[in-house]
Amino acid sequence: MVASETRDSLTELRRGVLEFCVLAILRSEESYGFDIVRALSTGELLTSEGTIYPLLSRLRRQQWVTTTWQESDAGPPRRYYRITDRGRRALDAFAADWTRFRSAVDGLLGGEAREGDGDGR
Amino acid sequence: MACSEARHEKGMEMDADGLVRDYLGRLEAAAWTLAGDRRSELVGEVREHIDVALTDAGRRDEVTVRNVLDRLGPPEEIVAAEVETDTTPSRAAPLLTRREGRLGLGAVEIVALLLLTVGAFVLPLIGPLLGLVFVWLSTVWSTRDKIIATVIVVVLLFLPVLLLFDVSVGSGSVHEVF
Repeated sequence: MVASETRDSLTELRRGVLEFCVLAILRSEESYGFDIVRALSTGELLTSEGTIYPLLSRLRRQQWVTTTWQESDAGPPRRYYRITDRGRRALDAFAADWTRFRSAVDGLLGGEAREGDGDGR
Repeated sequence: MACSEARHEKGMEMDADGLVRDYLGRLEAAAWTLAGDRRSELVGEVREHIDVALTDAGRRDEVTVRNVLDRLGPPEEIVAAEVETDTTPSRAAPLLTRREGRLGLGAVEIVALLLLTVGAFVLPLIGPLLGLVFVWLSTVWSTRDKIIATVIVVVLLFLPVLLLFDVSVGSGSVHEVF
């Protein structure tokens, strides 16, 4: 029960941060879908890889990324995603929010852990 | 039959391609609610992903294909993610908002429904006709809804009247003969 509840809240967390993780991956260089997925899969950030495409489509609608077709050495042309200035601004804003958010949560979690130890719970 | 035989002859590779085709078919079927251009784009993106993944793996055998498809997740889940993030109007969206609108029935709609149902017994003929007036005054129901309601009421009201007329004409002619 507890394990599945934790998983649910992880899903919620992922949902909130995933788009910014994608922007972060694209910050330094443009990339194609499969490569973005590969970068995300290292951190358990994506459970069903296919759901990246709806997300990329939304980022495109928000004009945070643009796409271009590029020739590939192996196989047909690939759709490459590139971050826009707007996307960079969104990413910077999130990075600042995230730092505050993370330290607030860490502070509380750390405090609770210490209290828990003291109570023997 | 001929198709499955051909599959067996070509062996594993054909099975793997069949798996991909089945998967994309399921995706296309699940994506029917999306706007047409987005649907074909999504299927194209996923097809491209499978191609790249298989090129990357350097193999196209059944096990590799199954792994790639498993990692992609169920097609229905991909479409669900699309619907969740979708803000552009799709075929599903107007349907949903209309349904939500119907839940919020106002006084006009309630009076209309009462006149069309109970009114038909309390005030024969006049009740349902008044009900129709209220139906057309509604801002919740669409013109299509209103036309459907009108047709139903008119047919139900006038069918018995026409039948009665027919019978009376019939019995009239019977009287004449005898």
